[in-house]
Amino acid sequence: MAVILIAEDELHIVRVLSLWLHRHGHRIVEARNGVEALQRLDEEPVELVISDVNMPGMDGLALVKAIREDRGLKVPVLMLSARCDQMQLSKQIRSYGIQLFPKPFVPSQIVEEIDRLLQAAAAS
Amino acid sequence: MSFKRFWTAEEVPRWFGLSVVLIYLISLGAVGYLGVHDARLRAAQQYRAQTAYAVELLASRLAAASREASDALAVPGEAEAATGSGDARRTPGITEPGARYQRALREFAAQIGTLELRVLDGRRRVLAATDTLEIGSTLPNEATGPWPPTALQVTETALPGHPESLGLYRIPVVRATRTPAVTTAVKSGGKAEERPAAAPTAPLEAGADAEASGVYLEAIVPLEPTHGLSLADYSGGLALGLVACGALFAVYRALRGQLRGVVRIAGRLQQRSLGIEEDLRALCITDAKDAATRAWNQLVELTASLQTEVERTRANGELSRVLERTAGQGMNEALNALPDGIIYLNNEGAIQYLNTPAGRLLGCDTDKVKGITLVELETAGEPEGGSARAGLLRQRLVAMIRQNLPAEGVADAVNQLLEVSELNSSYRVSIVPLTDARHEGECVVLVRDVSQQLRADRAREEFVAQVTHELRTPLTNIRAYAETLSSGMFDDPKVVTECYNVITKETRRLSRLIEDILSVSQMEVGTIELVEDKVDLKALLTDGVRDVRGLADEKNIDLQLVLPAKLEAVQGDRDKLAVVVNNLLGNALKYTPAGGSVVVGCQLNHNELVLTFKDTGIGIAPADQERVFEKFQRGNDPAVLAEAGTGIGLYTAREIVRRHGGDISLMSKPGEGSTFIVRLPHERSRASSLSSVAGA
Repeated sequence: MAVILIAEDELHIVRVLSLWLHRHGHRIVEARNGVEALQRLDEEPVELVISDVNMPGMDGLALVKAIREDRGLKVPVLMLSARCDQMQLSKQIRSYGIQLFPKPFVPSQIVEEIDRLLQAAAAS
Repeated sequence: MSFKRFWTAEEVPRWFGLSVVLIYLISLGAVGYLGVHDARLRAAQQYRAQTAYAVELLASRLAAASREASDALAVPGEAEAATGSGDARRTPGITEPGARYQRALREFAAQIGTLELRVLDGRRRVLAATDTLEIGSTLPNEATGPWPPTALQVTETALPGHPESLGLYRIPVVRATRTPAVTTAVKSGGKAEERPAAAPTAPLEAGADAEASGVYLEAIVPLEPTHGLSLADYSGGLALGLVACGALFAVYRALRGQLRGVVRIAGRLQQRSLGIEEDLRALCITDAKDAATRAWNQLVELTASLQTEVERTRANGELSRVLERTAGQGMNEALNALPDGIIYLNNEGAIQYLNTPAGRLLGCDTDKVKGITLVELETAGEPEGGSARAGLLRQRLVAMIRQNLPAEGVADAVNQLLEVSELNSSYRVSIVPLTDARHEGECVVLVRDVSQQLRADRAREEFVAQVTHELRTPLTNIRAYAETLSSGMFDDPKVVTECYNVITKETRRLSRLIEDILSVSQMEVGTIELVEDKVDLKALLTDGVRDVRGLADEKNIDLQLVLPAKLEAVQGDRDKLAVVVNNLLGNALKYTPAGGSVVVGCQLNHNELVLTFKDTGIGIAPADQERVFEKFQRGNDPAVLAEAGTGIGLYTAREIVRRHGGDISLMSKPGEGSTFIVRLPHERSRASSLSSVAGA
């Protein structure tokens, strides 16, 4: 019931998330990196963004900075990362009100988290 | 005066010396007195002997005169001739012999030095005398000795007006017919004819008895010489005494002089021990005359100059000089041979020493900068003939050292990392304060170039981060797809198949990655072993290309495999060679943008098999072309860093090829693509295969 943008260069992850989110009735917009994600955001309204951190071209950190600071969008963002410096990453994105989800993850948890975020967004 | 003062005060030796001289003089006086006394006795004895001899001589002349007189009586003419002088004749009452005696007395009186001299007969009637008034008179016997004398008789007597002791000498000239011992017998009718043959018989006058027949000489002479002892008699003793006294005094002076020097030195030392004198030179004895004092002064001078030297060395803290003196050039060379820079600073921040590596780091001549402060060095500008690079490093280094100079009383060393990003270099700077009180405020700075070490550390950290990321990516896929399957929510057979495929593929990816990491560690410790077998290169390349076909399609890359019609099998480790193919293909696909192409070729060239992996990717800058084969190293291009990678793929590939006796080279232009060329020796593989066939 929501439009969700997935910015991720690892195609298997895009695919598995799409499967699960489709099943929960969401529509998926795909992007391979930050630049593409910003383009999709400009093209259509998105209710939630799932983004990887390490992506070729524009990475996830630059993307959320652009979303929050340049675009001024308050769209909820869920970040995924396989990096080992997760504490540092968490600190960097906490100021934007964004939570980090470490890889490997379980898709059901992601779905739950997305539902929670969407409800919170709707409530505000 | 205490006993201590007795030995240390300077006047005591004088007192001591004077007492010695006094004792000597007393002894000298005693010896002199005894000597004089003895001389006097001996002179008196000699005088008496001379007198006695003279008296005896006179007596014999008188005896001769008596004989002449008796001869003249017999021959009157002769007697007249013998009494030529008219003295006796003019004197009334003088007999003929008397005149002769008187003449003899006159001749001898002056010679003997007598006071009185007379010739008497047995009745003491004066026959002749120096005092002519006495002639003819009879004198009483006043002396203690018996009369008439039989031999030379000396008795002491006195004369009015003569205080000195006088001797009365009596000697017979002509003996009486009887000896005096028998005088009484003669008186009582002894024979006058019986005369000793030795003495002449006196001419007997008519009426004269035997007693009166003798003639005797009587002389009063001083017992001792009237002139006394002259200075000459004492001169020998006096001269000896004076010489001895002088010598003693000289010895005393010399000894006292030496002793005085020692006493003064002792006094100075006592002052020093009491802490009165701080300046050593004040211990010098100003009017040094003796050897001990002069030697002392020399010693003090030497010590003072040494002390000055030591203090100057301390004050300047010239470690380098001390090092040069104590350890010679060897120490300096040892310090220069160290890779680390060593700078020794005094408490004013002035450079006292720096070794050659430190000179290189600061871009300055080690000899010229000694004594220059850090502030001066910082503001000195560009080093002479040095590069901007050296100037920058000097500026940063000096600034860091100055900021971290130890505060007063701080004993802890400061360790700082100086990163000069412009030079892509890092230095570990340690500032060690000297805790020794003599080197207060001084410090030694050690500068170590840790650029290489730091780069290696960072590469390793990066590798760990990359490996973590690389491991998590397939794990994420496996876990996500496994949960998709197990959730039971997706029963579409197509989805199920897809899930299995992904899980299988990602598991292989994971295992390959782990293999790579293991290979690296094996290659690091040198335990990697090739499991050799016949390898069908055609199959190897075909499988490798098939594995990445999916990825190439995803990225829309044209992937081609160009093989010759016939390709022999080679000897080698199939799995490891598969890793080489996979790594090179993966690398080509990873850095080739969508729409590009990757061509894999193989050909037999002389005795080697040449595999080529040509892509139209981003290319590799010449500076990075060697580095990409190093462990954990990747190109510095941002496009490379944007891709995930551990930096072990090319390293592993090259190591494996080298184990097979070949090598990998690279031709690349940034923006145009790269070609990796793998050369495997064909001869070796043929020989190996033959031997393995023969062995089989």
